[in-house]
Amino acid sequence: MPYINMLVNTHMGRLVMVVLALAALSLLWAGNVLASDEGEAQVDVVAQEQDSDPEANLPFLFAVYIITWGGFFAYVFAMSRRQREIQRELDALKTVIADKESQSRAGSAEL
Amino acid sequence: MDQVPLAVSGASILVGRSGSMIRDGLLLVSAVLMALTLWMIFFWVPTEANLGVSQRIFYFHVPISILALSSIIVVAVASIIHLITRGQRSDDLAYSAAELGAVLATLAIVTGATWAKPVWGVWWTWDPKLTLTLLLWFIYSGYLMLRAYGPNGSQGARYGAVMALMGAVNAPIIYYATELWQTAHPALLVGPAAESGSLDSDMALGLLVSTITFVVLAAYVLIERYSLRRSETAIDALYQYVG
Repeated sequence: MPYINMLVNTHMGRLVMVVLALAALSLLWAGNVLASDEGEAQVDVVAQEQDSDPEANLPFLFAVYIITWGGFFAYVFAMSRRQREIQRELDALKTVIADKESQSRAGSAEL
Repeated sequence: MDQVPLAVSGASILVGRSGSMIRDGLLLVSAVLMALTLWMIFFWVPTEANLGVSQRIFYFHVPISILALSSIIVVAVASIIHLITRGQRSDDLAYSAAELGAVLATLAIVTGATWAKPVWGVWWTWDPKLTLTLLLWFIYSGYLMLRAYGPNGSQGARYGAVMALMGAVNAPIIYYATELWQTAHPALLVGPAAESGSLDSDMALGLLVSTITFVVLAAYVLIERYSLRRSETAIDALYQYVG
């Protein structure tokens, strides 16, 4: 996949990875900061409990961010796999077409 | 016969292209903006008094929902161009936007449900806005299934275009659902029908930055998918030639 290679091998790709890593670290840090104010978040929170513990819904907040990032990465990963498949198909088709053309040239030379 | 080497080289260019300046730029800008967005969401915007931190979900949910709605408009416009010109590029754009729209609609529904659980106490309710958004998801799914399992070639593209045009009617109804019906969904915050001053200025700025970030990211993904779709079209043409 050219984009995976681009991420790993190019200067800008490495820069993007660093930015994403910093974003992930800031997310984790922010979680700790927000969570430390109100103690451990409760998962089974309902609307009525929010007034007493407004930051009790952190797991839902993080779930949304993980789902969103996971969704985008999964889609891009699926595209990269399809790109690899197309490259393989293209190589096979090139071989088939080259064989076909060489056969047609040989046939016309015999005539 | 001269067409085939051209098609092969064209497909090679599409498949082997390591990324244009536009795509690289969009990727870099979206990464930087995403870091800025996360910083704003967690450190800069104020916490909403009634909803607490769960309100911060909307900095992701609202832009994703806007883009899910916008995608069906892109699909419809590209479909109209395809129906008029019968061009392959417009059909490829429509298909790519529909696929991205399906991903975005899925994310909009899931992030909305994750917001609803702590705030409403339920994951899902048959609220008009939610139900219409689910209908949009079915429209995207139906479009993609029609293209995958329906007639091949130009006939399938025309059927898909007509379906996209019918589906696009749903977009403004979803947007105005909170105005048309009494719904539990929060009132409009962005767009022509939103009340001015309904959002704190810092929150509005956070939402604006987040929306720009997701627009750039979606543009990058759409261009990637369009490029891939063009490659698939070129490969299909080669298969037809080889027989």
